[in-house]
Amino acid sequence: MKVRRAGPRLHALEVPLAGMTLLVPSASVAEVVNPSDLTAVPFSEPWLLGVVGWRTLAVPVVSFEALLGAPVPASHAGGKILIFYPMSGRKEWEFYGVLATAEPRPQALDASQPTVPEAELPNSSYIASGLKIGGQPMLIPDLETMKQAFYP
Amino acid sequence: MQLGGAIYLLPSTAGFTIEQRENLITNKSPEGNVVAWRSVRSSRFPAYCLDANLRVARHQQWHRAVFLDAKPQAVGLVADEVQLLPRAETVISPFTPLGLPPTRAGHLFSGAWVTGNRAILVFNPAALASYLQALGEAT
Repeated sequence: MKVRRAGPRLHALEVPLAGMTLLVPSASVAEVVNPSDLTAVPFSEPWLLGVVGWRTLAVPVVSFEALLGAPVPASHAGGKILIFYPMSGRKEWEFYGVLATAEPRPQALDASQPTVPEAELPNSSYIASGLKIGGQPMLIPDLETMKQAFYP
Repeated sequence: MQLGGAIYLLPSTAGFTIEQRENLITNKSPEGNVVAWRSVRSSRFPAYCLDANLRVARHQQWHRAVFLDAKPQAVGLVADEVQLLPRAETVISPFTPLGLPPTRAGHLFSGAWVTGNRAILVFNPAALASYLQALGEAT
């Protein structure tokens, strides 16, 4: 009997959002914090929820749902903010946050998870691809496209 | 400075003048964006009243205006309250707002004062002046 060999494991975080789930590399996340009062940034994009103080830095917090054109979840109660390391090529203090609706869950990925067919993915340039885990589609964000939106 | 309940900081590196209300010419007309003018020799510089979201508002509960040294002319905004903070007590972190900048001079904020998980945004003086100058005198 042939045993299917799984590839190298990648540690990821399953990030619950309103109506969807993201999958991001664990190594891209610096910390998960409780949401606090966000400082609004006047004249900002609708997907920029505000700014939170983290360590000594001001970290912009984004609604991924709003980035995809969906409504911003009304309440942050029970949610978490994932603080991401700065994107490639950006300054070392340019951390950014994404608001999740609940605590992220760890996932160990190998090559065995089936990809989500393109037709089932949201029609958005902010989604690079998707994996099905336990039958549930999980969306992988396109960081390059996000970077273009964040730092045009 | 406090604007409509929100607090913003203006860096001390920005050239500015704080004027008392009684030294300004207030706009008696309910029309228009300008709430008062500062008269210096033959020039007069407009001051605007902004709400917490930095949109033009018109109310009379203000006592001071902060005028930014800017080209081609100074421009001001009235504040509910203005307080000078000791430099030693105020550590400013760099901050880049995400998305498109709202003014020709860039983003309105270039830093933040972080205390705990609270962040107070620090104006980019050039962008703030650009924003105020673009408001003009009309409604």
